[in-house]
Amino acid sequence: MKINPVIEKDLKTKLRGWRSTILICCYVLLLIGILVLYFAGNNMLNPYGVRSFNPRMAVDAYNLLITFQFALLFLAVPAITATSISSERERQTLDLMLVTRTPVVKIVLGKIMVSLAHTMLLLIASMPVIGVVFFFGGIGFLDIAKLLVFYIFTAFFVASCGVFFSTVFKRNIVSIIMTYIFLGLVTFGPFIGFLIYTLMQQRMPGGFSPVYSQFATMLFPSSVFGFTTFYFGGSNMAYGYYGGINIFSSAAQEIERQLALATGFWKYMQPWLLNGVFNILASILLIFLSTLVLNPVHRKR
Amino acid sequence: MVCVENLTKRYKGTLAVDKLNMEIPEGEIYGFVGANGAGKTTTMRIIAGLLAPTSGKVYVDGMDVSKEPLEVKKHLGYMPDFFGVYDDLKVTEYMHFYAGLQGIPHGKCKSLIDSLLELVRLANKKDAYVDTLSRGMKQRLCLARSLIHDPKFLILDEPASGLDPRARVEMKEILRELKSLGKTVLISSHILPELSELCTSIGIIDAGKLVASGSVHEVVKKLAHSGKLRIKVIEKEEDAVKILMEMPGIGSISSVSGVIEVDAGGGEEEYAKILKTLVSEGISIISFQPVEGSLESVFMHLTERGNGNEN
Repeated sequence: MKINPVIEKDLKTKLRGWRSTILICCYVLLLIGILVLYFAGNNMLNPYGVRSFNPRMAVDAYNLLITFQFALLFLAVPAITATSISSERERQTLDLMLVTRTPVVKIVLGKIMVSLAHTMLLLIASMPVIGVVFFFGGIGFLDIAKLLVFYIFTAFFVASCGVFFSTVFKRNIVSIIMTYIFLGLVTFGPFIGFLIYTLMQQRMPGGFSPVYSQFATMLFPSSVFGFTTFYFGGSNMAYGYYGGINIFSSAAQEIERQLALATGFWKYMQPWLLNGVFNILASILLIFLSTLVLNPVHRKR
Repeated sequence: MVCVENLTKRYKGTLAVDKLNMEIPEGEIYGFVGANGAGKTTTMRIIAGLLAPTSGKVYVDGMDVSKEPLEVKKHLGYMPDFFGVYDDLKVTEYMHFYAGLQGIPHGKCKSLIDSLLELVRLANKKDAYVDTLSRGMKQRLCLARSLIHDPKFLILDEPASGLDPRARVEMKEILRELKSLGKTVLISSHILPELSELCTSIGIIDAGKLVASGSVHEVVKKLAHSGKLRIKVIEKEEDAVKILMEMPGIGSISSVSGVIEVDAGGGEEEYAKILKTLVSEGISIISFQPVEGSLESVFMHLTERGNGNEN
């Protein structure tokens, strides 16, 4: 099988030298550090402290790690992809690629796949750290596999956004900022919209208590909604210090509760699945638009 | 090989290329001359399929560039005036990358790259990082890149710009080799003596319009008419100058050791009139000839208009 030359070249240059190895090591060490700090903070490493082990803590540690990874995915992937095309343009190598027989869509896909490969590398490297929670039980292999698939769907969408803005804007910095703004809107916008909608409905006579279908139809574009599937009923005690996580934990619990009450079609439409389908469809649209913008015969300048 | 029909390109109210018609037969080395902003680069980018025209058609080897872009790219090599290279790649890796983009099977790459690096005299640099190469070497590497898929037609936009004299000579030698390989080349350059040596035909673009096209000799003859006469007399040099000064329509006159150069302004009728007058006044003339112009004088004439920036 012939490898896409864009992937081959980008991986070769990015993985050359010690930079990538150091980056992966730092990332894994950071995850280990978070885990150690969490256990230490909960007196689990103190030989004179808690003698009996609370399995809930392992689940909370898992929640903390996957939340950190999820946030990192949103921060790191755009940084790689939002400059992928604009940096080629700044370096004046874009025309040299476009004048070849490689179709534009292959160049765009190549750039997305490079960022996916990087993300996968970081995720796989972090698996042994996440795997620590297996010692304590409560999390299954299937949960982890499902989470990985969700991360890939999300990374694909985030990378497609980055590449799209990279084709639209000539300057790297503008492309990066626009990607983060767009992702912020898609991720948090539906939650804000849903909150406003709920508050307005609650003022109506008879009040309002949203059911799962209402959560799903309004929140499905948000990857945070999809991520709630993997959040194992977060402990309020453990996250009491972190307001943001506490709110998220409550929202995740409410969505989980409503899903358990759902019937028929909605019963099977888990948040991660709905968001995954949205991410794939949106990515296809963004790739199509990127191709259209980048296609030389459509370029104005 | 290349046919451009009524090509027009407009950028937000600025007309960069204006109903340009051009034809480049197979095997020609076609020099594209024009002042900065005349529309050379825009035309070349449209032919290369990197820019959509506002109107008009471009055919390469009978194929419409806008309708069959990928098919056209099989036969087309392009070297832009400004180009980038990947600094963190070695010379062979750089060539492998573009070979991959051109769909060349991996097995064929090594020998092909070796022969191309040999052609552009970079065989000894194949394991060097691209960022360690000089500007001239990078330029030659870019030329090798544009030849990786053995295109029939090459577009070279200012291939010798920014090069020192030695690098220019090397580039010229490589272009001669391409000529001998039977490639059709569209080349733009400001180094006109070199261009006139290399090219079989030439096109002069001014304000987006092709003002002249044909063999170098034909174009120079047509456009580089200087209006100057060189007259060599045996005696009565001062008398001859005096007679010429009294004639209407005569501009500057200079005279050194029996050779008089006179700005006659007009055409062949004027020359005949001058010759007739001098002979009738008893001046002994041993040679009488119009001063021939050069491609450079054509270019200077066009750039006097002081056009804007390069497109």
